[in-house]
Order: sequence, then C-alpha cells, then structure tokens
Amino acid sequence: MKILCCVKRVPAPGAKINVTADGQDVDAAHLGFTMSPHEECAVEGAVQLIEEHGGEVTVLTLGTGDAEEQLRYAVSVGATHGVLVEADTIQWDPQRTAQAITAAVQELEGDEPFDLIMFGNESADAGGFQVGIRIAMALGRPIVQGIKGVEIGDDTIIARREIDGGFEVYELPSPAVLGIKEGLNLPRYPTMKGRLASKKVELNSITASAAEGGQVRVKLHRPEETVSETVILGMGAEAAAAVVDVLDELGVL
Amino acid sequence: MRNAYMTDELEAIYEQTVDFVAKEVTPHGDAWEEAGKVPREVLQQMGELGMFGLRVPKEHGGLGLGMLASATFSEALGASTFAGFDVTVLVHTDMAGPHLINSGNDAQLAEWVPKMLAGEAIFSIGVSEPDAGSDVAGMRTAAVKDGDGWRINGRKIYITNAVYGDLTIVAARTDLENKYGITMFLVPAGTEGFSVANKLDKHGWRCSDTAELILDDVWVSDEQVLGTVHRGFYETMKNFQNERMVLVGMGIGAAQAAIDMTNAYTQERKAFGGHLFDLGAIRQRMAMNQAKVDAVRASMYHAAWMHDAGQDNVKAMSGVKAWGCEVVNQVMYDCVQFHGGMGYMRESAIERMYRDARILPIGGGATEVMLEEVAKRSYA
Repeated sequence: MKILCCVKRVPAPGAKINVTADGQDVDAAHLGFTMSPHEECAVEGAVQLIEEHGGEVTVLTLGTGDAEEQLRYAVSVGATHGVLVEADTIQWDPQRTAQAITAAVQELEGDEPFDLIMFGNESADAGGFQVGIRIAMALGRPIVQGIKGVEIGDDTIIARREIDGGFEVYELPSPAVLGIKEGLNLPRYPTMKGRLASKKVELNSITASAAEGGQVRVKLHRPEETVSETVILGMGAEAAAAVVDVLDELGVL
Repeated sequence: MRNAYMTDELEAIYEQTVDFVAKEVTPHGDAWEEAGKVPREVLQQMGELGMFGLRVPKEHGGLGLGMLASATFSEALGASTFAGFDVTVLVHTDMAGPHLINSGNDAQLAEWVPKMLAGEAIFSIGVSEPDAGSDVAGMRTAAVKDGDGWRINGRKIYITNAVYGDLTIVAARTDLENKYGITMFLVPAGTEGFSVANKLDKHGWRCSDTAELILDDVWVSDEQVLGTVHRGFYETMKNFQNERMVLVGMGIGAAQAAIDMTNAYTQERKAFGGHLFDLGAIRQRMAMNQAKVDAVRASMYHAAWMHDAGQDNVKAMSGVKAWGCEVVNQVMYDCVQFHGGMGYMRESAIERMYRDARILPIGGGATEVMLEEVAKRSYA
C-alpha cells in the first residue's frame, strides 16, 4: 500500500518562545525544531502499517529548506521517501497551504492515488485544525479527525476515535484521509543505521504555488510570564494535617 | 556542519545521541545518581538502537567507523550532563570494547561481540591497581600457567562498570623477568574467585559503578587469553589515544552544556539594576570560556582526524587530554561561581557537573603523564 504522511516543522516543545520585533513570526534564532507530536505518531503508524502489509510511506512537508531536517528524521524511523514542497516561509495561511499541498499530492499521485493520507489532528504551533480537512475536501476523499487507531480492511480503512468511555469506529473507503492524534502509538527512536540512511536519502522537491487564502495574521503576542509559588507543606504523613487545612480553606471538604 | 571534520554520518551520530540523552538520560539521571547505578534497561535500549557499534567492524555487526566517530559520540553523550552515565557507556564502547575488537580471536568475537552490541553484556577494563595506575609497569596482579589455563591472583581498583558489569578484561603480569610482560584475560563476572571487594564511594560520577576487585586463585582457560601472551601491555596501548580522547569529548560536551546553562541563568538573574550577564566581569569570562571550549573541541577533532588519516597522534592527543581536561575544570569552576549560592546546592546540575569534571585530569592518563608524553616528543 501507498501512504502519505503530511508533517509540519514546529518549535520543539518546552522551548522558550520569543516573537520577532514586528510581531509577525516566532524568533527562531535559538530554537530547536521538531515535527508536531500528532504527526510523529502518524509517521510511526504509517511505518507500522507498511511493516505489516508491505508498501511505501512518503512523508511530505511544506516549508523552507530547513524542513528537510524533519523529512530526514521521518526517513530515519522508517519512511521510504521525503518530499519538500518548497515555500518561502512555513507560515502560509491554512487555505494557501492546503492548496499547495493538494497540488503537490496530485502531482505525486498521477493516476495512482495514495491509499491513505495521514495528517496530524492539528499542528503543534498554529493549531488551525484546517489543512487536512481542506485537502480531503479538495481531493474529494473522506476524512475523520481525532484518530487513535488505524487498521487496514478489505479495500477499506478502519479508524478508531476515542470518546468518553470507549471508541467510535469508522470504516472508510480507500483512498481516505485521517487526522491522527498523539497516543495512536509510541513513536520509535531512530536506530543509528536509520539515522545514517536518512542522511543519504535523496529528497524530492516540488515548488509550492498557491494564492494567498485571505486569512491574515494581525500580530503574535507573547503573554506575560505568570509567576507561581510552591509551598511545601511537609513530608509524608506529617503533611496530612496541613493538606486538610488547605482543602478546608478552599471549601472542598 | 558542526566542524570541518563532520560528515553526514558523523552528523547523524551526533543528532541521534543528543536526542537520545535528552529524552532518556537527562530526565532520569538524578535518580540514577541516587541509586549509584545506570539501569541496564537504558543500556540495552542503546544496544537495540545500534549505538554501541560505531567502532565495531561491519563484518561483526557494527558500523566500522573511526576515531572521529568516537569523538562525536563522546561529545554528544556529554550533553546529557550526567558524566557518570557517559563514562558507563564509554568504558563499554571505547575503553574496554576496543581491546576485544583489536585482539579477540574468532571464537571470542563470536561469543562476546553480539552481547556487547546489544548491551546484554557490559564490559569493563581491569588494569589499575593500588600501586599501578598510569604506571602500568608497577602491576602486581600475576597469572601463572596452570594446566590448560592460567591462575590469576591480585587486586584491581577503580574499575568502572565492574560492580554490575558482565565481563572484565583483566591485565595480569605473566612474565616476571619483563616489566611489560603483561597478558590480557577475559574474565566473566561470576568466575570462581573473582569478586567485588568494594563498591567505591566517589566524589563524582555517582551513577557510574566503580569496583575494587579481588582475584583469588581465579582459573581461566587458554581460550580466555585475549591477544598474545606477554604482549598485553603493547596491545593495550593501541587504544590509549582513543581512551584519552573520549574523556575529553564527554568533558567538552558537558562544558558546553554548563556554559549554555550558565549564560541562560545569568541572563535571567537580576542584580545591580540589570542582569548578571550584563556585568563585564561575567560576560567576558564566559566568552573566554566559550573560546577555550571551542579550541579544545577543534584540537580534539583534529587529533582524531590524524589517527583516521593514518598519522601518529600521540603527541597531539596527549596535549588535548592534558589541556582539555584542565579547561573543562576551569569552565565548571566559573559556572559554579556565576550560579552564586545556587551553584553550591546539591539540587543544581552545575554542582554535580563540577564534581564530575574533577576526575578528568586524573583518569585515563593524568595531566602530568600526558604532558610528559608531549615533552618527550618535543626535543628539537
């Protein structure tokens, strides 16, 4: 089977995020980057599917040349091919991003569609929840978001979405599109050999072309840091009385 | 590219190792320090990911890379900030392991290399003794021929990985007429008469286990002789430069982490109407520390490259070991100083890193011995 995973280069979690002076972008000078955690699970899920059923996983990202780092990482954990849809910046609006990726997917597919396209449920930085849905609509394919389980049926994709106390199970005709949530699996580490191989793989490059979508960023704002205070009430059983006092004060007893 | 010697392969090793220690080592290291032990599970995980095979030839399942790979690996491990962990790994991969690779016969390689690569067997190297550290000629542990094997008696001290490890490569005197008449033996843990006398309590490297070993009438077969009888000293010397280098590498990795955390701390810490980092005395000292670390790093990679290019690097690497390990200690001293009172607290990483660094100019060839190696190669 042929699977496409679309990933996004985002600042590494836990980093201190600063905003550029014009308020239009994240100051990347001292940041490490990664792919969104949802997408890391999507790549792992795709690799597991081809390990079980055979086939190829292509990983695609839209952005500048820096995003090759995320494509090579995906290859190091088992993806077969990497495609960079080259844009002048990663921060295109969702409509424009979706248009460009749709065009790239159509170019890659030709007459042979991917059996499954996987996105992260939402990107870890912008959190727009839009790109995957827009692309599925443009390609005329079914999509389900929030997926934490994927299986391959007879010409179908079976996807599970977590709900309170259980799962909703969807059966989609292939080709289909899924928005994957973190928790689908525990992404593997690259092996040393995988890392070495990822440095040698030839990445495919497609020039992104799409008109601006209309969504305009006004300004990024970094909220003031909130200072919190931790009070140690005691250690072990001795702390119990003080904890009860606090709970009493809060009115929860 | 991080420096002129980097290749895609070396970049991959650096990225892989830095990522691994950031996720699997640094968050857990404090608990390991408390326990005095690196969990076997994390070592096996590294084995599964192929991280123990950089220097192992391809025909034995490794990557067959050179000394530059060890330089890269050790520097990346240093980023963990837990030098006790770093040395646990490096003794296995770069101090003990190479003796097996260099001198092992087919049967020994077949038995031990797969276990070494997988982290199923952790290796240690038993050379140092109470009266023989850098001066190997003072070794008292002796082995005498006994039937189809050898009987070994003696003591070993400061043996990293030997409390919880599985295989110690033991050096013993076999030719009493020749002070360099030493033979290396493969002695698995659990061999009768081979025991841990003490788990040593150290100033730093707290999560690394260090043993005093007793060999009391230990009998090993001829098949357990590693390399050539009486030639163990010369065979051991083959790995000296690598052993010296990885100590510098892990030190430089840690020193860079210490500089980064100190710069961040002093740029946050408010004092005298600004931040500490705004003070010339601090910013200039930290800038000089960065320059020194950059210089040591460059010298280390160059000395590694010399080896890989087939050149004699003893003088260069000895100099890097002497100077580099002193620099790491100077950097740690300043970083504690600029953390103020917090730097003296056991809860701060820099306090631990300062303690961890102190062994570097002592172990793997003391600074004074290293300088002699340079000096005796400096006659006009």
